[in-house]
Amino acid sequence: MLAYIARRIALALPALFGLVVLTFILSRVIPGDPAATLAGDAATPAQIADIRARYGLDRPIMEQAWVHMRQVLSGDLGNSIFSGRPVSEDIARRLPATLELTFVALLLATCLGIPLGLLAALNHNGPIDHLVRVLSVGGLAMASFWLAIMLQLQFSMEWDLLPLRGRMDVPLGLPPRVTGFLLIDSLLAGRGDMFVDAARHLVLPAVTLALPGLATIARFTRSGVLEALQKDYVLYARAAGYGRFRLATIYVLRNAITVTVTQIGLLFGALISGAVAIEAVFDWPGLGTYAVQAILSADYKALLAVTLVVGVIYAAVNVLVDVAQALIDPRVALQ
Amino acid sequence: MHLLRSAFLALVMLAAQPAQAQAPRPLVWGDTLPATLDPHAIFDVPSQFVLLNVYDGLYRYQGNPPRLEPWLAESHTVSADGLTWDFTLRAGVKFHDGSAMTAEDVVYSFRRLLTMNRGPSAAFTPVLTPDRVTATGPLTVRFVLSSPYSPFLTAMPLVAIVNPRAIAPNVVNNDWGAAWLAVNSAGSGAYSVLPGNYQPRVSLDIQRFPDFFRGWAGNPRPVETVRARPVMETSTRVLALLRGEIDATDSYLPTDQVERVERNPRTRVARDESMRVFVIRMNNMRSPFNNRDARLCLTHAFNYEGFNNVILRGFVVRNGGPNPNNLWGNPPDLVPYAFDLTRARAHCDAARAAGVDLSRPLEIHVQNELEQTVQAAQMYQADLRRLGITLRIVPNTWPGITSSTTRSETTPDMWIHWVSTYFVDPENWVGQMYDSQFHGTWKASSWYSNPEVDRLLRAARTSLNREERQRLYADATRRVVADAPDIWVYNTVNLRGLSRRIEGYTFSPVGSGGEIRLMSLAE
Amino acid sequence: MTALRHLMRDPVAAFGLLIVVFAVFVATFAQWLAPFPDDAFESNIMQRLRPPSAEFLFGTDNLGRDIFSRVILGTRSALLVALAVVLAAMLIGVPVGLIAGWRDGWLSEGLMRFTDVFLAVPQLILALALGQLLAPGIFTAMVALALTYWPFFARTVFAETRRLRGALFVDALAGIGAHPARILFLHVLPNAAPAVLVRATIGMGFTILTAAILGFLGVGATPPTPDWGLAVSEARQHLPDAWWFATFPGLAILLLVLGFNLLGDGLRDAADPRLRRSRH
Repeated sequence: MLAYIARRIALALPALFGLVVLTFILSRVIPGDPAATLAGDAATPAQIADIRARYGLDRPIMEQAWVHMRQVLSGDLGNSIFSGRPVSEDIARRLPATLELTFVALLLATCLGIPLGLLAALNHNGPIDHLVRVLSVGGLAMASFWLAIMLQLQFSMEWDLLPLRGRMDVPLGLPPRVTGFLLIDSLLAGRGDMFVDAARHLVLPAVTLALPGLATIARFTRSGVLEALQKDYVLYARAAGYGRFRLATIYVLRNAITVTVTQIGLLFGALISGAVAIEAVFDWPGLGTYAVQAILSADYKALLAVTLVVGVIYAAVNVLVDVAQALIDPRVALQ
Repeated sequence: MHLLRSAFLALVMLAAQPAQAQAPRPLVWGDTLPATLDPHAIFDVPSQFVLLNVYDGLYRYQGNPPRLEPWLAESHTVSADGLTWDFTLRAGVKFHDGSAMTAEDVVYSFRRLLTMNRGPSAAFTPVLTPDRVTATGPLTVRFVLSSPYSPFLTAMPLVAIVNPRAIAPNVVNNDWGAAWLAVNSAGSGAYSVLPGNYQPRVSLDIQRFPDFFRGWAGNPRPVETVRARPVMETSTRVLALLRGEIDATDSYLPTDQVERVERNPRTRVARDESMRVFVIRMNNMRSPFNNRDARLCLTHAFNYEGFNNVILRGFVVRNGGPNPNNLWGNPPDLVPYAFDLTRARAHCDAARAAGVDLSRPLEIHVQNELEQTVQAAQMYQADLRRLGITLRIVPNTWPGITSSTTRSETTPDMWIHWVSTYFVDPENWVGQMYDSQFHGTWKASSWYSNPEVDRLLRAARTSLNREERQRLYADATRRVVADAPDIWVYNTVNLRGLSRRIEGYTFSPVGSGGEIRLMSLAE
Repeated sequence: MTALRHLMRDPVAAFGLLIVVFAVFVATFAQWLAPFPDDAFESNIMQRLRPPSAEFLFGTDNLGRDIFSRVILGTRSALLVALAVVLAAMLIGVPVGLIAGWRDGWLSEGLMRFTDVFLAVPQLILALALGQLLAPGIFTAMVALALTYWPFFARTVFAETRRLRGALFVDALAGIGAHPARILFLHVLPNAAPAVLVRATIGMGFTILTAAILGFLGVGATPPTPDWGLAVSEARQHLPDAWWFATFPGLAILLLVLGFNLLGDGLRDAADPRLRRSRH
C-alpha cells in the first residue's frame, strides 16, 4: 500500500512541475508593466525603473525562471503586486474560509444527493425519476453566480431571512483563531451565538455551491443503484423475497461511500471553480474573492499563486481519493 | 427521507434565528481599504483613511472648500527666493507609544519617503533630496529646495510623520521597516491600528488614542473603536448600509441608490460638492486625436446633459475644464462644450477634409469595476455611431491603464477616469495634466503639448505670488480648453451613504469625509 | 440512425434536442426576432430600468435597452463562442489523443503528461488566469477556454484509440500495409466519433457556462455585446429594484445549458450500448 501511495504521489509531481513552468510563462506574457503597477498612482518613470530593478524584472528571462522555481519550491509565492505583501500569507489567511465553505457544501451535497438518487432509482422511469433527472441535469446547468444572486435577492434582500454577505456579523467580532474554520473556532471558544451566526452566514453560499455536487452525486447514486438492482446476486436475493428498498439500502450503504469518494476528486474542481463566483457574490473572504480582487487590480502574482495553490490542493485531493479507494478496494492498488 | 427533512428543518431554524441583541456597536466603516497601511508606500483615495486617522502631517486640509491648517507644525517661513522653508513644530505631540515627536522624527519621515521613492514622494522628488531635509533645533526643520516650487506647502499634508522608534526594531534588509509598517502603524494620529485584526482588503480595526495631541475636548462622545470592513460590490454595500451592517459606504454611492438610502429611516446621504473631475482622455499624439477639428468633433459628441442629469440624476455639476469649478485659479467665465451633433459633424467634416482618417475604430478603455465609466462609454458609443465613428470599449483596470500610459505608443486611444484631490492647488489638475514635462505619468496621459501652456504652467509653479499664479493658471486653462485635448464632463458631488447613528460627519475634498475623530455615535 | 431513433424515444433527451434546435433557430433569425435589434449597441437613457411590460417583455436595462432583444441577440454569441471553443479544443485534443493512443513510447508519454498539466487545475481557474493575463476580452476568453478544454478531448480520444488499436480490423489494415495516418483518421477516428460527439455536446453546455462566468467576472465579453454573463454582472448594481435585469439573462443561460446537457446525456446513453442495457 505504501508503495502504491508513493507511486501515486510520484505520478502527480510532473503535472505540478509543469504547472509551475506554465504559470511562469504566463507571468511573462502579461501586457501591462508590473513595475508601473507597483509604483502606484503618482509614480514617475524614474520610480518605475527603480522598482523594476528592485524586483529583478530587468534580469534575463532564464535567470528569472530559475529564481521563480526556487522560490516556489521553498514555499515563497512572491509578493503581491497590489500590496507588496507575501502572497503566501494572504492565501494562508483566506484558505480556511474557502475550505470551510467547500466542506459544508460537500457535506450538503452528499447528505442530500444520495437519498435523492436512491429515491429516483427505486422509482425508475416514474415521475420522481424524471424529476430527479431533470433536476440533476438542471443543477449542473445553473450558472453558479446567477443562482447565488437569485438566492441573495430572495432570502436576504426581499425576505431579510439570512445574512447578505460575509462570514460573521461585524459587531460579534471573531473567535480566537485556531483552525480558521469559524464553525469550529466558535465552538472551541464556547460561543454558541457565534456558531449560530457563522452557520447562518454559511447557508446561502453553501447551498449555492452544493447544487452541482448534489446533482452529480444524485445522478451517480441513481445509476449505481440501477446497475446493482440488475446484478445476478441481487436478482437471486429478490427471488428469495427481499424487498427492493431493503436491497437498495444495503447496496447504498456499501457502495455509496465508494461512489462519493470517487466523485469527490472530480467534484472538488467544480466546487473550487464555483467558489470563485459565489464568494464574489457573497463577499466571502476566501480564495475566490482574492482571485477576483487580483483580477481587478491586475495582480498577476496573486492570481498565479492562487492557480498554483489550487493546483496543489487539487492534486492532493485526487491522491487522497485514489488512496482512499485503494483502502476500500485493495484491487485498485494492484492494477 | 429523514435526512432530507431534518436538513430542511435545520435550514429553517437557522433562517428564523433572530439577530442577537448586542452591546454598544462599534462604528463599522464600509469604505475601500488601501493596499497597504504604510503611508509612504502608497498614495490614492483609500489610503487617506489611514493617513488622516492614524497619522498626522505638518499641515492638514480641513473643511470644504479645504483650508490648509497648521497641524504638527505651528508655523513656517519661506525665504525670498522660495528655496528655504523653515517649519516650527508644535511641542508636546505624542506618538502612540508615548514618546514625544521631535524635529529628528520629521527628518526621518521625509528621508524615508524620499528614499523609498514610492507613492506621495513624486510630489517632492523633482525639488527635494533626502539630505536637504535637516533638523535645525529640537522643534525646527529646514527644507532646501533645488528650485522654487510654490505648491510645496499644499503638498505637505501628503506626508505622514512616522515614529522611528517604533519602526527601528522592525527593519529588515534595510527596508525602512516597509514590510512591518504595511501591516502595523507608527503614528501620532487620533486612532491607532489594532494589528492583530488587520487583514488586507478584508478588515482593519482602529482604536481611539486618548493622548492625541489636539485632545478630545471638541468631541465629548468620540468613537472608541472603528471596524473598517470594505464591501466589495456596490449594491451589496448599499444593502449592508440599509440593513445596519455597516455605518458608512464609500464616497462613490451610485446616483441610482441615493433615493433608496434617503428613504430608509436609519440612513441618509451626505452630499458635498467635491473636487474630483470626471474626464475622458484622448491620446493627442495619435491620429485622429492629433487634429484639433477631430478632437472638437469628439468633444461635441458627448451627451453631457444626458449623462449628468439622466444617468447620474443631476447629482453632479457640469465641469467644462480640467480644474474643478470650485477651485481658485479656474477661470470663472469658462464656457463648457455642449452636446451638439451638428457642430460635431461640421468639425468631423473639416477634419476629414484635412486628410484625417476617422474610419478606424477608436478604442476607449474603461475601468471595469467602476460602472460609471462603462456607462459613459456605452452612451458615447451610441452617439458616435450617428457620426459614423466606431468606438470600441475595452474593459481594463486602473493598474492596467496606468501601467500602459508610460509611453504614448502604449497609451490607449481614449480612457476614462477621475482626477481626485491629492492636494488643493491647480497644480494637481491643469498643472500636472497638461505640462509636457509630466508625459509618462497617468495624469498627463493625453500627451498634450503646447509650448505656451508649458511656459505659463512652469511660471505658475515657481511663482510665490498667489495673484500672479491665479492669472497664469487661468490663462493656461483657457488655452488648454480651447485646444480640447480631453473631454471634461463633471465635477463630483461626493455622495456617501451614512447611518443616522453617525453625528459630526464633516466633509473635506481631501479625505472625502473620512476623519473619524470628528464623529460620534448616537445612542 | 438507430441512435437518433433511440434518442427520440427518450423524452428527456428529446426535450434537450428541442431546446438546442430552438436556440439555433433563435440565433439564426435573431435580427428578425428581436423587437429592437439595434439595442445590441444603442442606448436610450430616457427609458432606463423599466420593469417588464407589453412593450418590453423582459424590461429594460441600465442604458434603456430592451432586455428581451438583448437576450435574443445574445443567443447567437453564446452559441458561436461555445462552438468555436469546442471546435478549437477538438482540433488540438483529437490529434493529440490519436497520436498518444496509437503507439506507446516517449511521444505518447510526453503528450499525456503535457495534457495532465492542463488538467492539474480546475478549468475555470486556469481560464481565469489565462483570460486576465492575455488582456481581457471575448477573444482571449475563447482562447483561454479552448486551451483549457482540449485535454478532455485528448483524454477521450486517447481512451478510444487505445481500445480500438487492438481491434481486428485495425490489425488487418496494418497487415495490408495501410499508412498509420490513414488508419487513424479514416478508420479509428470514425469509430471514436460517438464518444467525441458526446464530449462535444457536453462541452458546449460547459463552455457556455464557463464563458458566462468569465463574462460575469469581467474577463469575458465586453460591452456593448449582449452577453448574458456580462448582463447579470451589470445588473447586480441595480438589485433588488431591477430584478428583471439579472433574472432573464440568467434564465437564458440555464435553458441553453440545460438543453445541451440533456442532449449530451441522451447521446451518451444512446451511444454506449453498455449503458443502454440498464435502461429498460
